[in-house]
Amino acid sequence: MRIPIWGVVCTRASTPSWPPRGSLEAWMGLGVVREVRFLVGGPQGSGLETAAQVLTVAYAMEGYRVYSTREYFSNIKGRHSYINVRVSHRQAWAPREEPHVIAAIDAETVLTHFREAAPGTVIVYDTAASKVGPDRVPSMEREEKARVKETLSRAGYPASVEGAVRYAEAELGARPLPLDYQALLRSLAGELGIPATRARRFLNTIPLAAIASLTGLELDALRAGFERRFRGRQGVVEGNMKLAEIVYDTVASAGLRGALKLEPPPEGPSEYFIVSGNDVVAMGKVAGGLRLQTYYPITPAADESFTLEAHENLEADGESLGGVVVFQTEDEIAAISAAIGGALAGARAATATSGPGFDLMVEALGWAGINEVPVVVTLYQRGGPSTGMPTRGSQQDLAAALFSGHGEFPRIVLSSGDHEEAFYDAIKAMNWAERYQTPVIHVLDKFLANSIVTLPPPSLEGVKIDRGLLAANPGPDYRRFDKSGGPISPRAFVGQEGVVMWYTGDEHDEYGHIDEDPVNRLRMHEARMRKLELAAEEIPEEGERAILYGDGGDFLLVGWGSVKGAALEALETLRGEGLRGAYLHLRVFEPFPSGYVSEVLSSYPPGRVIAVEASYNAMAARLVAQHTGRRIERFILKWTGRPIYVGELARAVTRIVEGGSVREVLTYGA
Amino acid sequence: MVLRMDYRTDVWVDWCPGCGDYGILTALQKALAELGLKPWEVAIVSGIGCSGKTPHFIYANGVHTLHGRAIPFATGLKLARPDLKVIIDGGDGDLLGIGAGHFVALGRRNLDVTVLIHDNQVYGLTKGQASPTLPAGVKTKALPKPNLQDAVNPIALAVASGYTFVARAYAMDVNHLKELIKLAVNHKGSAVIDILQPCVTYNDLYTTEWYRRRVYKLDSEPGWDPVVRDPSEREEKASRALEKAREWGDRVPVGIFYWDQTREPFEERLARRIPSYLDSPPALQPIERGGAPVVDAERLKRIFSGYLVRRRR
Repeated sequence: MRIPIWGVVCTRASTPSWPPRGSLEAWMGLGVVREVRFLVGGPQGSGLETAAQVLTVAYAMEGYRVYSTREYFSNIKGRHSYINVRVSHRQAWAPREEPHVIAAIDAETVLTHFREAAPGTVIVYDTAASKVGPDRVPSMEREEKARVKETLSRAGYPASVEGAVRYAEAELGARPLPLDYQALLRSLAGELGIPATRARRFLNTIPLAAIASLTGLELDALRAGFERRFRGRQGVVEGNMKLAEIVYDTVASAGLRGALKLEPPPEGPSEYFIVSGNDVVAMGKVAGGLRLQTYYPITPAADESFTLEAHENLEADGESLGGVVVFQTEDEIAAISAAIGGALAGARAATATSGPGFDLMVEALGWAGINEVPVVVTLYQRGGPSTGMPTRGSQQDLAAALFSGHGEFPRIVLSSGDHEEAFYDAIKAMNWAERYQTPVIHVLDKFLANSIVTLPPPSLEGVKIDRGLLAANPGPDYRRFDKSGGPISPRAFVGQEGVVMWYTGDEHDEYGHIDEDPVNRLRMHEARMRKLELAAEEIPEEGERAILYGDGGDFLLVGWGSVKGAALEALETLRGEGLRGAYLHLRVFEPFPSGYVSEVLSSYPPGRVIAVEASYNAMAARLVAQHTGRRIERFILKWTGRPIYVGELARAVTRIVEGGSVREVLTYGA
Repeated sequence: MVLRMDYRTDVWVDWCPGCGDYGILTALQKALAELGLKPWEVAIVSGIGCSGKTPHFIYANGVHTLHGRAIPFATGLKLARPDLKVIIDGGDGDLLGIGAGHFVALGRRNLDVTVLIHDNQVYGLTKGQASPTLPAGVKTKALPKPNLQDAVNPIALAVASGYTFVARAYAMDVNHLKELIKLAVNHKGSAVIDILQPCVTYNDLYTTEWYRRRVYKLDSEPGWDPVVRDPSEREEKASRALEKAREWGDRVPVGIFYWDQTREPFEERLARRIPSYLDSPPALQPIERGGAPVVDAERLKRIFSGYLVRRRR
């Protein structure tokens, strides 16, 4: 039986805009030649992020699309951090190997990344570090030191930056661009009339400007990037620009200025948001009506709450649209409990966390389940178990999202594959939570959280706020859990005039009072569980709970979350090599799109269906088997905590489809 | 169920005959009635255990939460609807054992809610284990061996945590408790009342008899003035409250230990940052018009303009 429900399901943009639906072919073929990839690395805290931001803004203002993803340790200052950036004619959604530039602030960057060089890769490094070897870099992990030394000694090069650069040049075809960083800074100090020690704070501008110069970015474009980043701090802008001019001249005298010049960008949107995954979820939540966000600090979720707090006053051109209360709690148990409390009062409420915090929230999640509370948990997966690798990524927490907690209660679990999906999913999560009066877990990961893209401002045309079934004129005899009209009870809010209600974690009667009568239990438990069946009836499987990109071909990749970007680009790469495949992108895991997934899988031989996941167990593949009875028997897995790169994925697919491999483990990335 | 202004429900009260909880329930119902609050203006939020059932016996919004978590549930409710009167009922194990972290955090915030601690020194519903307020070395009848852990001092902990209204009451003196509840509910900030109560089934040491001979009212003490009227008095009054909190034995004081009327409640701190907060709190803001988001695409761009870049060419 379908019960009448108010409102409309948020269907707009359930189908993401990229690649355009049904035109995978059209999206493909642009190729990756109109792109520059660079890797910039240095110690954590050395201004790498600032450098990447300046470049991202500068390229975006020129009309290029930028993707950047950051790798870092759980450390404040000193450990090796690096950012992979792709500047392209179309938006990239995953990292790709073979950087055109490796720009190093320090010796460790060269020693860690020289093996990633490809023919033509320009390696920008500091000549002062030439003699530094792995043993003089205390922040390098001992396994990495041993590997570097072995690679270099086996090929007959000294174990130093100089040896690494020579190796990259001779063995891999790289082009060294040695710069004397101290001399450049001394020139700057001279020009600005400041002591050399003060010029040191501009250090990160050297690799930044070298990249800009190599890629042919005009100085005025770079200036625009600095002005944006250092708005109102003209002295900093001028200092940076002065140094950039010095670096540009040096690169020019090495004959490399514009050596990697990008073709002018195609026509495109006139403006972009430059956003991380964390930022874009915060934006979706604001548009979707979130007004209470609770959190306890945890990587990689906390930045979402920071973004919300920075915009807590919803002001647009002097017009106040209210405010979002962002509340830092004493722990994650309090975070979800307070979010639930806010939801009981009728606020759209959510909390954002990562695995360890989610574990603490589980008891309260069950409380929200039995009390039919619309609360949203945004879960950013990182490398587990336990503290695991807190700043690295994974897709290991799907089972936790789906099955954690004692007892049975309905929950909706959805996941996003890119920033655009994440924006609309944040809205959808809140709509579904209220429509089905149950917790919704929105699963993301560190890869998405910490990657930054150029996103055209999302349209909200057709997006609906669906508050679900609300009680019309509730009076003194209001029954919060009235099931006479179906499994979803008309909702009133705590504090609503003329009405009171009770909630309890115990099984309860229609008023919310404790009731262990077996017939009451039979009815109440069934009504709650049936809400999921209702969701399954209302939310389309094809296009909304799972999306098929491409069709037919020699193989089918099955993945979810941020696998999407790498999978689609790998399909394109493979197509260029004559291997044709499709990608089935799983979006909603509860209620699972069993019928549609079964149908898609049925058109491929079992040996040509490949699960791609950033985990050891490939949980999504197990869910496919559980729900459809179809076992996936080929796997491409990665659990190093580093993102899946396009090239390694394409090669792994080839080994399975053409080489007969059944399981490929990916390892690319330092 | 019909609308009742006496704050009673027709749910059968299933506490043991003679339980101190009856005194607390009666005092709370009378206090709410005398305060003239409407049932929908009040939310009673409880944890787990015998005290956790309190909301079901009161005709007002009732939220019976998880063990130890009444404070954070209540906090979210209050943040979303700062105009609600939120009263937290929890046991000593609930608020000072499993939920002790939340108890401390609430004091730091001075959120305008009231905490009632049902303090009977035992975990009743699980058959009499020692609670965090049971002194070391004593053996109540359900304990197989004397208690090894020292008691926490709820009054001292509350003062140290920053609660701005700290009182103790005795559950069997309903009128005194009722008056304290009224003061606590009207106080602007985090208020706590540590309510001593017998557990007639499991605590054979701290009985009605034991308390009757020892309890005295701080009001009767010449010169006792716990009220901070100016921030400069905080240190001295808090020190005196801590000293008084240590008195336990032949004489057990009840009444107000510390009452700071000068510290800004959390809601006002929030309102200084979000000017619309008190008039338009999270639960009362319109978020859609005709189903469309109030924050439409244009407004979203303006709110997040710091992220927006325009193409130069």
